[in-house]
Amino acid sequence: MQRREFFKKLGVAAAAGAVLPSLALSNEAAAPKPKGPNELSYKDAVNAITGGKKVVNSPLVHLKAPEIAENGAVVPVTVEVDSPMTENDYVKAIHIFATKNNNTRCIDVHLTPANGKAMFATRIKLGGTQEVAALVELSNGTFLVATQSVKVTIGGCG
Amino acid sequence: MSKRKAIIKIKPNKYANGEVVKVNLMVMHPMETGMRKDKETKATIPAHYINNVKFVYNGKVITTMNVWESLSTNPVFTTYMKIDGEGELSVTFTDNTGEVNEKSIKITPKG
Repeated sequence: MQRREFFKKLGVAAAAGAVLPSLALSNEAAAPKPKGPNELSYKDAVNAITGGKKVVNSPLVHLKAPEIAENGAVVPVTVEVDSPMTENDYVKAIHIFATKNNNTRCIDVHLTPANGKAMFATRIKLGGTQEVAALVELSNGTFLVATQSVKVTIGGCG
Repeated sequence: MSKRKAIIKIKPNKYANGEVVKVNLMVMHPMETGMRKDKETKATIPAHYINNVKFVYNGKVITTMNVWESLSTNPVFTTYMKIDGEGELSVTFTDNTGEVNEKSIKITPKG
């Protein structure tokens, strides 16, 4: 009797040992990707800014970014908008997005007529090959957008 | 309040009243995303990035920026500005830990 019980217990323990690691593994696989502090997808970010308004692809917005970036940690991006920048007609804001980064928002620039020229340049980090987008808000309330894809050979987000 | 190194450059060097000039701001900042891990201890390095930049020229706010962690280390901000009389251009930048820094440059138009 004792021997039988001992083997029973042994069997249960073995079964549990076999199951547990697989459970742990499946947990790891199902765990979500590491989240950044301000994770936000491109669609949500654009919706939050435009409030559901129509966004038009426009040739007035010139987005300059390299087609192939060797290092994703430093990607120069330039946005220029054809605008007279007077009191009645000026560029209110320029938003730059990296569409597939954990937090797609890179920078919002709020301009005034005192700038004289609607241009902004900076350097951003890209986690991988993706599209860079520039969303421009004009003083009359319309939204223009320009996108360009950038191929990244070495990612820049850790 | 710690002092961070920042450089403001205005191009061209000589400018007249009413001219539109390029303003180049460079800040020495680590811009940690909060997703990177220390290679030895495997601990996540906490996020540390600039979240607000403000350009003030003669008491008038000309440009404000909301910034997130996707900007590169030691970020560069380039904008344009219309020269409107003698005065001072000051830039204030805040980061997510509450650190506030200020840098200013004198504007002296010639001709």
